[in-house]
Amino acid sequence: MKRNVKKISVILCAVAMAAVIAGCAGQTQSGAPATTPPPMVTTEAPQEIVVENPTIEATQILFDGSSTLAPVIATIAAELEEQSAQPIEVYVSSGGSGQGISAIINQTANFGMLARDLRESEREQIPYLQEYLIGIDALTVAINPENPLAAMREGLTTEEIVRIFSGQYATWQDFDPALPDEEIVVVVRDIGGGAHEVFQTNIMGDVDVRADAIQAPSMGALINRVIENRNAIGYASFGVSYQNQQYLAFMEVDGVAPNVENILNGTYIIQRPLILISSGQPSEAEQYFLDAIFGDMGQGIIEEIGFIPMS
Amino acid sequence: MKEKTALCLFAAVSFVIPAIFIVILVHVIYQTIPAATGLGMLLFDTSGVWRPLGQTPSFSILPVISATMYVAFLAVAIAAPIGGMAAIFLNYYAGRRLTKLVLAFVDLLAGVPSVIYGFIGLVVVVRNLERIFNMSAGESILAAALVLSVMLLPYIISTYSESIEKAKNKYDTASRALGVSAEYSVLKVIIPITKRGAAAAVISAFGRASSETIAVMMVIGNAPIFPRLLGRGQTISGLTALEIGSAEIGSVHASAIYAANLMLMLTLSVILLITYFLRRKLLSEYDKI
Repeated sequence: MKRNVKKISVILCAVAMAAVIAGCAGQTQSGAPATTPPPMVTTEAPQEIVVENPTIEATQILFDGSSTLAPVIATIAAELEEQSAQPIEVYVSSGGSGQGISAIINQTANFGMLARDLRESEREQIPYLQEYLIGIDALTVAINPENPLAAMREGLTTEEIVRIFSGQYATWQDFDPALPDEEIVVVVRDIGGGAHEVFQTNIMGDVDVRADAIQAPSMGALINRVIENRNAIGYASFGVSYQNQQYLAFMEVDGVAPNVENILNGTYIIQRPLILISSGQPSEAEQYFLDAIFGDMGQGIIEEIGFIPMS
Repeated sequence: MKEKTALCLFAAVSFVIPAIFIVILVHVIYQTIPAATGLGMLLFDTSGVWRPLGQTPSFSILPVISATMYVAFLAVAIAAPIGGMAAIFLNYYAGRRLTKLVLAFVDLLAGVPSVIYGFIGLVVVVRNLERIFNMSAGESILAAALVLSVMLLPYIISTYSESIEKAKNKYDTASRALGVSAEYSVLKVIIPITKRGAAAAVISAFGRASSETIAVMMVIGNAPIFPRLLGRGQTISGLTALEIGSAEIGSVHASAIYAANLMLMLTLSVILLITYFLRRKLLSEYDKI
């Protein structure tokens, strides 16, 4: 009982102290104001034309969003820093296309990096939306070269891919009696992510991928599973695919091979745009950086990293 | 005046920690509202699946909750006897120098980044499961539990060692004076007297197991289906890491992910409370003679 009394007095003392802080700090710095969660949707009316974000210094450019685009921007920034005298500081953070959009809505970054098109509901939330298409990412359909299918067929039709990925064919033998009686191991990226969305819209349509498909946490992990498991089939981004082409067998889709020409002219269907978004006209520094992205150096880096440049 | 300022500063920093926790909790609860109001009990639909972006979206978080619990239980079930035996051996039989050496390695084991465990799990555990069980893909609940169990060993060994040491200090002299063997005092005295300590070790390990993210994600296959031992599954933290970045903000999808995490946070809070009371009881128990 005595201990309890002591405890209570300690708590009271602590509470009193909290009050003291509130008093002597002038402004409250306790948790109270922060408990109001950040607004999920900014619906405030846009101010007059936003020329540049006042919370960000003019020479600092913040990028946030798709982890697919992050290395591209970081590399271009590093290259630009070496080449030019203009003092521009570029900060890149990544956490998915969705984060890129929320960064623009919440004005925590100058540019959002997206590896997919904006949804209509997202478009509505950004005043004075600017979009810059800086490259294209395409997905290849890859299997393990040890899979007898690799020697049998040059490619698959969309319908066959749908049946394989949806689980209508459970084993490779279901697909073709000449193939082994082993489970088809479908490897995909996270179903909610940008890469999968490309695959879903362009190939699967209304059909869901089988529920027990392995969701790889990164493109590298996905490729790794296909390289190591001869029953596996997966899709991989063009860049990563070609870096590992000796370990993989790529399938044509409806008779169209996954190459740059077919991707740019749109006949190869599994592709997604790489987009930068911002709100309002770019500042001088931002425009300077955009010019660099669309210049020879920037487009060269986009190609080097494994995407298809726009020029 | 100076003292007063210092006191304010000291008090302020101490209150930051509860404030952070409250902010996080309120944020998670707030973000759960759209799912709670829009879906309600559909979140726990036993026949439902997690298919947030399908043609007919479905948001049952039950598969990921059950997989999280399954993996954590299994990992603790594997790690607890091993860790317990190791702790008894180290404190009762091994020489002091050996004990020190082994405990140093136990600490090192705790310091290995979880991504390394995941990677080793992928190249060793997953591959060997494929071979042993003739599975077409080794990513499974079992693979995740095996990897996790190794990660839990340091927690179990160090927590349980602590209670054994206390019990030993108290009763060892008496046992020796009575002339009983080491085996006798371990079986009849130490194990019964430390059962609360063992429970605390197991429960805190369970908490650790149910929140591990990357190592589990790398070997479990991340398929949000109801778990089977040799089937794939997905944990709450794995689901969150995979999908929260791409979920549309404010959507039911994002909110349902928060709902799953709220469940995890509640479970972990209950676990922490139980551990806290067990430990308190434990300490007062040693005070008695």
